[in-house]
Amino acid sequence: MEALNLRDDSGENSAIAAHNSMQLIAFSIGEQTYGVEITTVREIRAWNGATPLPNTREFVRGVINLRGTIVPIFDLRARFGDGPTSPTKNHVVVVMSVGEKWVGILVDAVSDILTVSREDIHNVPEGNSVDTELLNGIVTHDSRMVGLIDLHAVVSGAKLDG
Amino acid sequence: MSDLDDFKATYFDECSELLNELEEQFAAIEAGERDSDRLNAVFRAIHSIKGGAGAFGFSALVGFAHAYETLLDYVRDGRVELTDDVCALCIRANDIIADHVKAAQSGDVLAADYGMEEKERFDALARGESADDDDETGGEIIEEFDIDFTPVMVNLEAPAEDDAAPAEDAFDTAPLQPESGHWEVIFTPHRALYERANDPLLLFRELAALGQMHTRAVLGEIPPLANFEPFAVYCSWEISIVSPTLTEAAIREVFEFVEGDCDITVTQVGASAAPASAKSAPAAAADAGLDLLALADDEVGVAPAKSAAKSSAKAASAASAQDKFEEAPGLSFSELAETMAPPPKPAAPPRAKPTALAAAAPAADGEEHAGRAVGVQSIRVDLDKVDRVVNMVGELVITQSMLTQQMDETLRARYTELVRGLEVLAQTTRGLQDSVMAIRAQPVKSVFSRMPRLVRELATKTGKKIKLETIGENTEIDKTVIEQLSDPLTHMIRNSADHGIEQPEVRLGRGKSETGTIRLSAEQAGGNILIIVEDDGGGINRERVLQVARDKGVIPPDTNPTDEQIDQLIFAPGFSTAAEVSDLSGRGVGMDVVLSNIKKIGGSVHVRSSTGKGTRMTLRLPLTLAVLDVMLVKVGDSPYVVPLSSIVETIQVSRASFERVPSGGQVLQVRGEYVQVIDLAKRFDMKGQTDPESRFVVLCEAEGSQKVALIVDDIIGQQQVVIKSLEENFERVEGIAGGTILGDGNVALIVDVQGLKTQLIHKNAA
Amino acid sequence: MTTLRVLTVDDSRTILAMLHHTLSNAGFEVLQAEDGQQGLNVLMKESVDVVITDINMPVMDGIEFIRHVRATGNHQSLPILILTTETSQDKRDQGKAAGGTGWIVKPFDPEKLISVIHRVVH
Repeated sequence: MEALNLRDDSGENSAIAAHNSMQLIAFSIGEQTYGVEITTVREIRAWNGATPLPNTREFVRGVINLRGTIVPIFDLRARFGDGPTSPTKNHVVVVMSVGEKWVGILVDAVSDILTVSREDIHNVPEGNSVDTELLNGIVTHDSRMVGLIDLHAVVSGAKLDG
Repeated sequence: MSDLDDFKATYFDECSELLNELEEQFAAIEAGERDSDRLNAVFRAIHSIKGGAGAFGFSALVGFAHAYETLLDYVRDGRVELTDDVCALCIRANDIIADHVKAAQSGDVLAADYGMEEKERFDALARGESADDDDETGGEIIEEFDIDFTPVMVNLEAPAEDDAAPAEDAFDTAPLQPESGHWEVIFTPHRALYERANDPLLLFRELAALGQMHTRAVLGEIPPLANFEPFAVYCSWEISIVSPTLTEAAIREVFEFVEGDCDITVTQVGASAAPASAKSAPAAAADAGLDLLALADDEVGVAPAKSAAKSSAKAASAASAQDKFEEAPGLSFSELAETMAPPPKPAAPPRAKPTALAAAAPAADGEEHAGRAVGVQSIRVDLDKVDRVVNMVGELVITQSMLTQQMDETLRARYTELVRGLEVLAQTTRGLQDSVMAIRAQPVKSVFSRMPRLVRELATKTGKKIKLETIGENTEIDKTVIEQLSDPLTHMIRNSADHGIEQPEVRLGRGKSETGTIRLSAEQAGGNILIIVEDDGGGINRERVLQVARDKGVIPPDTNPTDEQIDQLIFAPGFSTAAEVSDLSGRGVGMDVVLSNIKKIGGSVHVRSSTGKGTRMTLRLPLTLAVLDVMLVKVGDSPYVVPLSSIVETIQVSRASFERVPSGGQVLQVRGEYVQVIDLAKRFDMKGQTDPESRFVVLCEAEGSQKVALIVDDIIGQQQVVIKSLEENFERVEGIAGGTILGDGNVALIVDVQGLKTQLIHKNAA
Repeated sequence: MTTLRVLTVDDSRTILAMLHHTLSNAGFEVLQAEDGQQGLNVLMKESVDVVITDINMPVMDGIEFIRHVRATGNHQSLPILILTTETSQDKRDQGKAAGGTGWIVKPFDPEKLISVIHRVVH
């Protein structure tokens, strides 16, 4: 269905400067920088607490009310196995769409919007299993290494027994 | 979802409406209302089901529906009498149609001979009644179908091509002659052709697509203008077409619609037969002197022909046209056409979307016609859109009640106008809420109408005689509740037919009428809807129920429940009194499913039985699901809500009597009953300091009257909340039924009492 | 070339939806009505280039609808196609007698549908 595709692409068209480049929202967790494609980002909010969800893994921070819908918050630090974040008002929730669903990712700070070339994206080096599981690739920008988050992987396996 | 799936979804929706309509119509027909409106409605319903089925290639359904439709057609025009037998056969046929639809929907394949017996009876009826009919026999009609009406799987994904020539392969059978390809067509339209809005120009255009075409207009018949009659047709055409593959069938296909409205001869030039083109003189065109209409080539030539053709047809609307003819001798034909052309059409009004347009054009004299809701204008709206409004109104209600709560005495005294305003706001909000809920409300008819068939089937299988009465089927209830109602009702009616109603001889022996009655009724009582299933059967065998309940450990052996409590036991999980697992109500699942489904939608079930006289089961359902009355509690530091409908009572922990059980767990003793205890803070692993003395027990009732005691850290109060789904953006979480948004904007989780209780059982079993 | 407007009249939502899909894909503007009476109401307000109508409909059936259309002053040259599953000749004949221009047999093939429309409309 061509009409539908066009509609899906329209957001991307405005955000992408050149055909083979993409824009990332970069955010930090400690010293690490990660990025997600800007078109998936719906909203950036300051941390304002979340209602804890029982029977879920440590990295599920809870749920928040986003204009009447309940959105789960994932603690990215905890997801990478570095223990839970102790969030303050300065911490940031990046709300993104993953498929049909909206999810929030708790990060330390949003640092930048980067334009990178798709050709510069490399595979994640073998070795760190958490990184290979949760990253789509890495890209170097201004001598910084930016890990591209695989959102589907990040939000999977949230339940205690699942 | 592909377009085809969309269409199928529409089709199945429509089928279920039509099947409901069939039930309704036949209920009336059975009751003796055999007027033609009802038969027509039945016929149309089957016809529509068949039509859609054809489009999707559901050939079994099409086959059966066609045979049934033929019978209905005969019944409709009186060739077959609508006896009780025929009526029963039709009702059976409706069920078969429903099964075919279901099979088509689920992709199942029914037995090849399913419905064959009935189909043969249709044939026999049609044959029997129409044997002395002069035109055709019913049997043949039905046979003919198999040849004529081949369901075609329509490929909707394929883009529509331009108006190319008709597919050649359709005419493969026509003899193709070598060196053929040159055809002469003589075409003399009659007035009727124009009256039916056919247009020679378009026929020529289509012919031109078949090959190289040359057209000559024959104008010898055109009278002097003084004698010219605007409606008469004076023109005919001689056409030659050359194409190597052209067949007569392809040419005749073009004239398919105008057959009978014109004279047409098609001759092959240079074929062995003498050329028929000699019949008329091509030279006539030149003689007429109006070479304007002589079509040298089809591109240039067709335009005036079009005007001419149009003019004859359109002249009817131009009353003054005739005068103009007589005053204007010497005008060329095309100029004449100009003068006769009707005034330009007024600009079309702003174009509405098709659906809106149809909706805005209600049947003006609808009340004359039965079978449809009369005089009610309606629009189709996505349920999603309605739900969004329902949600927002729900939140408005909550915000409004929050505002009211914020008004303390000082504020009240100081700002009387504000208080008045808030009161008005409260009233308006409630009104708004009621109106919005009414949008979601639907008559229970859609569920009730599935039940007659069920009762028929149950009667057949059990060998009992059962009559179903329905009352209050126009009672309206929230759409979601209705959707959840079908399974419980089915189980309850099965239970009545299976265990309630006695065999005919038993009934006669008890001095009852042979036929048992199940009465299904709906009524509104305050903020609730009551759905009652009542039978005049033997009533619940309490001794047996108690025995089974004790044997199965549903109740402790030493308790002595009251009659009412015994009756209620039939809803206990896993409970089944049938000595042998019956084909109908058995299989281990039964009435407990009723209770769990009803609880799920915030309702309750009550049963009353009178030995030898019958059983009455009452479902009490909320009018709406969107807004839930809850108790707001704290578990650790987090807000949770417990649906009020499942709460029996609350007790301060300091006043509750707990006892340790050997396994190490705790039970609560309340009025001689031992109830399992769940400490929610522990279960949910919530942090937060709590003084054990200030904690509360919330005693809840789960499935099958099973109680469970939840320990919470604080009770904050009661309020109404709007249920929000966790699954929308996350996934199902054990022990949590959903979420809701509190007045302060925070999310509170809804405790899934039933889920926790079930978990407990599994844990204990493990 | 201006967009051709088609009025589709059928009591089956499935058929209306399929017609709408096929016709709008082929570049037609599609108006809908669920019975003959609604169809007439649409024609009172809107001008269309061709009408496709079912025969068996509640309130006002297709035959009656066609008769009414033809009896209305400015609709004598409006092409009307009868959409029907009837394979027997008599329904078509009735439709034609009432003033139907041509017919389409359900289930319709999209290409055939378009070519038939072009047979009766400019």
